[in-house]
Amino acid sequence: MTTRRTFLAGTAGLALPAIWGKDAVAQIRRGDELTIGVWGGVQERIVRQYCAAPLEQQYGVKVNYVLGGTPERRARAYAERGRPSFDIIYLNIFESRQAVKDGVTQPASANVPHFANLYDMAKLGGYGVAFNPVTIVYDRRMVSAPMTSWRDFWRDDLKGKVIWPTYPGAQGTAALLMAAKVWGGSETNIDPGFQNIARLKPFAAIQGSQDQLYGMFDNQVGAASVEFGSFTRTYAESRNPNIVIADPTEGQAVAMNVACIATGTRNQALAEAWVNLHLSPECQLAYAQQTYYSPTIKNFTAPPDLAAKLILGEEAVKRLVDFDWDVVIGNQARWSSRFTREIAG
Amino acid sequence: MHRLTGLLALPYGLWLLAAFAAPMGAVALLSVQESSEIFAPLSLVPSGVQYAELIGDAFYRRVFFNTLALGAGVALASAVLGYPLALWLTRLSPRWKPIGFAIVLVPLLTNVVVRSLGIILLLAPRGIVSSFVVSLGLPRPDLLFGWFAVGLALTQVFLPFMVLALYDVLESQEKRLEEAAAGLGAGPATRFWRVTLPLSLPGLRGGLVIIFLLASESYVSAALVGGRKVWVNGMIVLKEGLEILNYPLASALAMLMLGAGVVVTFLLGRLIGLATPWLTARVPRLRLSLPPAASRTLVAVAEITAPIVSRVLLVLAILLLIFPLLLVAVASVNDSPQATVAQFLGFTWKHYTAVLQNERYLSDAWNSLQLALACVAVSLAIALPAAFALVRGGFAGKEALGALYMLPLALPGIAIGLGMLRLLQWFTALPPFLGILAVHVVLVAPFMLALLRASVAQLDRSLEEAANGLGARPPGVFRRVILPQLGPGIAVACVIGFLMSFGEVTVTAFLTTARLQTLPVRIYAEATFSLENTVNAISTIFILMTVTALLVINWLMPLDRVWRR
Repeated sequence: MTTRRTFLAGTAGLALPAIWGKDAVAQIRRGDELTIGVWGGVQERIVRQYCAAPLEQQYGVKVNYVLGGTPERRARAYAERGRPSFDIIYLNIFESRQAVKDGVTQPASANVPHFANLYDMAKLGGYGVAFNPVTIVYDRRMVSAPMTSWRDFWRDDLKGKVIWPTYPGAQGTAALLMAAKVWGGSETNIDPGFQNIARLKPFAAIQGSQDQLYGMFDNQVGAASVEFGSFTRTYAESRNPNIVIADPTEGQAVAMNVACIATGTRNQALAEAWVNLHLSPECQLAYAQQTYYSPTIKNFTAPPDLAAKLILGEEAVKRLVDFDWDVVIGNQARWSSRFTREIAG
Repeated sequence: MHRLTGLLALPYGLWLLAAFAAPMGAVALLSVQESSEIFAPLSLVPSGVQYAELIGDAFYRRVFFNTLALGAGVALASAVLGYPLALWLTRLSPRWKPIGFAIVLVPLLTNVVVRSLGIILLLAPRGIVSSFVVSLGLPRPDLLFGWFAVGLALTQVFLPFMVLALYDVLESQEKRLEEAAAGLGAGPATRFWRVTLPLSLPGLRGGLVIIFLLASESYVSAALVGGRKVWVNGMIVLKEGLEILNYPLASALAMLMLGAGVVVTFLLGRLIGLATPWLTARVPRLRLSLPPAASRTLVAVAEITAPIVSRVLLVLAILLLIFPLLLVAVASVNDSPQATVAQFLGFTWKHYTAVLQNERYLSDAWNSLQLALACVAVSLAIALPAAFALVRGGFAGKEALGALYMLPLALPGIAIGLGMLRLLQWFTALPPFLGILAVHVVLVAPFMLALLRASVAQLDRSLEEAANGLGARPPGVFRRVILPQLGPGIAVACVIGFLMSFGEVTVTAFLTTARLQTLPVRIYAEATFSLENTVNAISTIFILMTVTALLVINWLMPLDRVWRR
């Protein structure tokens, strides 16, 4: 049964109208306009090719893009709650779950055929379209032994050489929560995290973005940090072979890009068709090849050399460390001001 | 006559009322909300809770005053580096002048992330500066990721404003005054201190105000090179407003910054007013004097050191300005996917091909170009009359009005953006081009006003009186006497206004829709994940285009006053 459903959905990209049936098609009218809020660069290029082009060809619809960063997009979506100018916005993992809770975007539903193929973790807060986990990255020249655990940040040979990620932000959130976890705490008991991060002081630096971190690695400002494995792999392969993307024993911290359909969209069927295309194996493969994003669907295969660099299969996805994001979001303001004062200030 | 001159300030004021009063009102209203809950209905009963939280918290207080100190420090540093540069620029031959201007404008034409990489390269533990210091036998300094690095990064990007603000007043200065001083035995230091500096104070005022306001609102550089050890107000507005969605607290901080900005602008105006009593034909009230012996020693020392110090400062300033150019030009042909790379990996033209073959870059650039041109035209049309009103008008509260007109500069861009979000329904009812144009004019006109005000103050009134005496009608006087004198000032103000509008991201990022996308917002959107190297190709193309544009401007409207020679 599972096999058959997977098969059906897997071919959906090729045989769209047959799978959607009359309802969905009846609602998509020639000339409809779909507005997508998305990041620029490679993200825009891939969705234009794999999501927009098929829809435009098949239905004669038009796709508009509003490019920008997540904060502005989210602020806009909140300001327009219920009467959105976007049909779909792309958010990060914790923003997406909060947006569903706040009634700004819709939860995922089985109206999207590929929904059936999603890993459970990717069904929350909308449709997870890419796993992009956060892990330990380090310069092999500046450490005395490979880093294999989140506790390795507290090793003697790393004293004063740690580049800590700022909080909030995907990297800083993961780093704080993992620190709490490996020192006996959790998202509901964050003190061990803060206390032990404070022990790492003085930091070589505090980083606020990957570009900044890579500049620091170029200049050997520090030895190790917490960053997206995907982009760091591109960086390591293209310009700094000394950088290692670790796979710590406690697991990598989950981060995810999520396609969120706005509550109150007037193009429900079209938006769902878009998301379905984003979840197609072809589109997921393009992401994996171009940015090392890991797929959120189970019916995905990749050539072995690529597969080795991705999070693939039920087992690997289960090893990703997830958190209770309601608690994390609820505490964000408090932790942020605490981070500013105790860690970075 | 004086009364009527005051009316010239009206169009500018009306524009602010139409396009700025509403978002500012929204920010003000948000700042007095009791609940920080994002979907709480707006309450009309003011509450001081947010202000109390900010003022009662030692951390916020510290950040607030640190930020003001940073703004003052950057403004001062820009003045110190700006004078040698601006004087150098006035002395360049007409042929080289456009190139000189281009050098000054380089930081405004390069991406902030790329520029900050430059600062990191300069100040890194094994970077250029500390290697130099170590080679002198001194201990290795820890310069990166602290206040010094942030100050340097901000000075680099705001220095152009100071140079351009000073350029026009220095260029229009009566050269014979300096010659007379030299003839009376004054050395270069004395001539600068007693003649050049006092006469250029109106320009200095414009530069200081602009830079203080910009520097105290900035947050990107602080985040990039401050290593999060540096906290400034802008970062807190960003964090509270955009990450935590606590609009009321962010708005309250923005209002406090606005207040501080207005007070500083006003005080600077009064101070410069006291130091330039001849402008209003008042009796000087400010007199500082040293005992004769001390004064003689000081002058002697200054005369000996001044030529060396001014040359060193000039070289430092030029290096600081063109360093990003080097970085950008090299990176644009570097075979690396990321924009910020410290080593050269191979030569390629592919980033240029990627830009020039991509119609989306080109169509966004076309949008930005139209927007910037329209914005400069409107801003000039309202700022020039306002400049006359603020210089020549005889109405009470002129200084206060001058400070009021700088308000859009004093309210942080993010706060304007958050304010606009509250008004999104009305905003999106406007044609997209018009809506964004209205906001851009609000952001750009204050810059142009600050520069033009200094230029208008420098006008030689006797020429107009002569023209009047010879029977010229006011429109004729304006066209044939005033406009030629203002030419360079207008050109400089337009160049700055154009670049400001063409590069604006902070507010525009909230307002772009599918119907109107600008180039900087596209670049910003691409940079949120990874800054691709195409950004350096774009910067290099911009710089080349700016040089070309300056050559054309210089040909159409000379950047100096040839008839003075």
